Amino acid sequence: MSKKIAVVTDSNSGITQAEGKELGIFVLPMPFYIDGGEYFEDINLSQDEFYTKLSEGADIMTSQPTPPNVLNLWKEVLEEYDELVHIPMSSGLSGSCESAYMLSHDFEGRVQVINNQRISVTQRQSCLDAMALAEKGYDAAQIKDILEREKYNSSIYIMLDTLHYLKKGGRITPAAAAIGTLLKIKPVLTIQGEKLDAFSKARTSQQGRNTMITAIKKDIDERFGGYNCGKNIYIEIAYTYDLESAKSFKAEVQAAFPESEIVMDPLSLSVSCHIGPGALAVACSKKLPELA
Amino acid sequence: MAVQTIDSQLLAKMFLAGANTLDKNKESINELNVFPVPDGDTGTNMTMTIMSAAKEVSALGDNPDMKTLCKAISGGSLRGARGNSGVILSQLLRGLTKRVRDEESINIEMLTEACAKATETAYKAVMKPTEGTILTVARGISDKAEELKENGCDDLETFLDELLAHGKVVLDGTPDLLPVLKQAGVVDSGGAGLICALEGAINLFKGKEVDITISSEPIAKVDDSRPVKAEEKTVNVYCVNFDTHLHRELNFKTEMDVKGYLQSVGELVNYSVEGDLVKIHMHTDDPGLVIQKALKYGVLSNVKVANRNLEKCNEGSEEGGASAFSEKHSAPAPKNNEPPKPYGFIAVSAGEGLSEIFKSLGVDVVIEGGQTMNPSTADVLDAVEKVNAETVFVLPNNKNIVMAAKQAADLASDKNVLVIPTKTIPQGITAIINFAENMSPDENEQMMMTEILNVKTGEITYAVRDTTIDDKEIKKGDYMGIGDGKILSVGTDITQTLLEMTGAMVDDSSEIISIYYGSDVNEADAEVIREKIATTFGSCDVELQSGGQPIYYYIISVE
Repeated sequence: MSKKIAVVTDSNSGITQAEGKELGIFVLPMPFYIDGGEYFEDINLSQDEFYTKLSEGADIMTSQPTPPNVLNLWKEVLEEYDELVHIPMSSGLSGSCESAYMLSHDFEGRVQVINNQRISVTQRQSCLDAMALAEKGYDAAQIKDILEREKYNSSIYIMLDTLHYLKKGGRITPAAAAIGTLLKIKPVLTIQGEKLDAFSKARTSQQGRNTMITAIKKDIDERFGGYNCGKNIYIEIAYTYDLESAKSFKAEVQAAFPESEIVMDPLSLSVSCHIGPGALAVACSKKLPELA
Repeated sequence: MAVQTIDSQLLAKMFLAGANTLDKNKESINELNVFPVPDGDTGTNMTMTIMSAAKEVSALGDNPDMKTLCKAISGGSLRGARGNSGVILSQLLRGLTKRVRDEESINIEMLTEACAKATETAYKAVMKPTEGTILTVARGISDKAEELKENGCDDLETFLDELLAHGKVVLDGTPDLLPVLKQAGVVDSGGAGLICALEGAINLFKGKEVDITISSEPIAKVDDSRPVKAEEKTVNVYCVNFDTHLHRELNFKTEMDVKGYLQSVGELVNYSVEGDLVKIHMHTDDPGLVIQKALKYGVLSNVKVANRNLEKCNEGSEEGGASAFSEKHSAPAPKNNEPPKPYGFIAVSAGEGLSEIFKSLGVDVVIEGGQTMNPSTADVLDAVEKVNAETVFVLPNNKNIVMAAKQAADLASDKNVLVIPTKTIPQGITAIINFAENMSPDENEQMMMTEILNVKTGEITYAVRDTTIDDKEIKKGDYMGIGDGKILSVGTDITQTLLEMTGAMVDDSSEIISIYYGSDVNEADAEVIREKIATTFGSCDVELQSGGQPIYYYIISVE
């Protein structure tokens, strides 16, 4: 008889509390400090309130879930389940993966923390993959092995409306910081496993969109075994704040990948506060052979 | 009996006569330009191209052999090629000399084949040959040569006269092939330049008095008592290298003056500016003149003078034709043995502000020029040599420089040189912005080629004469708004002309309007223009930059 496996993630996956309940995924809310007060995404802070505060220049700091919050959730989950996999945001972007890993040592293998460098829509897909693997009878340690084996089989491109927030947050590699020029430029960044890095630049939103679609196509063709009518690959879109432009971007991405069912989510607020409103992202993750 | 063949001595004289005739008529050829814009003109470009070859020919002395002569004509013009008409002229000369270089002397049959070869070579050099241009005139002449030969014409003077007469007829017909010429009431300027050079050469052949001394260049004295083989002689015998620490930075005009002076006293091999440091490398017969001039503007250091006949020139020999030149450039030139980076950029631009913008976007070498002075193939090659990269993208940023840049790309053998045919400064800016380090050269090239088509450029300048273009009547001194090769607006009020032009460029998909103001516009006036554009085109972001470019008061881009 196979074990009962739970999937735990944080709100950076874009999975809301309500959606989590529906999918059977446990979602740990990421905490914020706005002008000194503590908030939790999707608990006592909505996207609209957040962007209002951000545009007002409020002092926003992101933080990791506190150890008691993590431990309490795990303990609660393990009362019902044999094992759990914990899929936090990329260790390249936050220390929360490492702290969770340390906390997991006290659970004698029942808690497996997965370090597979995902964020937002790709992190969400990892959670769905973990659910599907559990259903197929894989245990927590096996799921960890599979997902970490695939950690570089994903790619993200993000176009920012401005470099302002990224510079303010200090969460930027030197290469990306060097983009600052005399002209108005929209930076196009990429996440390949590790940190955010500079990829290209654009003058207009349309140029940036074209660049991202070209780049993701190239990755799929050269690194992920080709598009093959979407049989090998998930295509995802994320955005901050501007739903209208995200919708028109989705139509363009859909035209490039006609057979794919494209998931589109707002970026989690703890990512948004570093990149600001008006960002668009396209991502892909390779489908797992175990789930083919 | 009349002369029925042309030997190398006669050909050299005919070539110099042609070059000088073109030089004397360059102003009237300049005036044939369709757009009455005060910028790089056909007559000037063709003259500088042919003069570059004429200097080499002149240096060969009185009796060069055919092969050496042909090498000087072909190599000198290829390297000196400026502007599209200059590049086409250099290709015509290349084709022509290719056919005759192995002959002792040239008869009618060989000349006919040489004309055909010249025409073929020039057509091949152009991606989309346009009829009604210098190409049509060249082909007309070559067709006529074939016809005369077929009909048994056996007198060389008659043959040449007929070619010239027919060439003139074809030239007069160019307005019927190219509507822009007809509207402006002119014949094609490149074709006119070709006829002019041909006429000079034929006049010399017929024994008319034609000046064949190349004046802008000191010519080495030939010592008749001690015959020397032509190839072994060197003009501009001293190689001079030094740095000038400027008292203050030179403005554009002064810099052009200094360069002009240096070119008049020798061959300026390299002139590069890094802040207030100017590096000069030149070949001259009088190093004193060069040093005196530089002392006016700054303090000198690292002064090196070498005799090119006795010592090794620091930067390699400059003699010979294209082959010697490409050899020079095929030598690996990494500085301090640094490994080459994957990508480098060269941009042609005029004006401090624009150069600054290109540098901030990652351009390694900015070639000053573009609007007043089209850089030559050799200028582009020099820049390519300076960039230590595997692939070098060249942004010509002017439609009249694209061909010279491509010619340089063909001659550069040690690097992958890709010319993105940017026709305007905004296209160049858009091209480099869309560059992505992680993509392959081909992918980057394709990305840039696609995106430069999505930026619209408008430029405001003044008319230098009365004319009619695109059904718009233009009076001398009027402001003109030129958008991607079309006259979009004409008027006596600069703001009105600018707004009208911008209105013709903006549509629903436009996101950003950039304004680059020129050296003749002050910041306060430019700021007023920015405000007006921002209120008129409310849905677009508007940014204002100091371009510092000459001639164009404003360059506007709409994306």
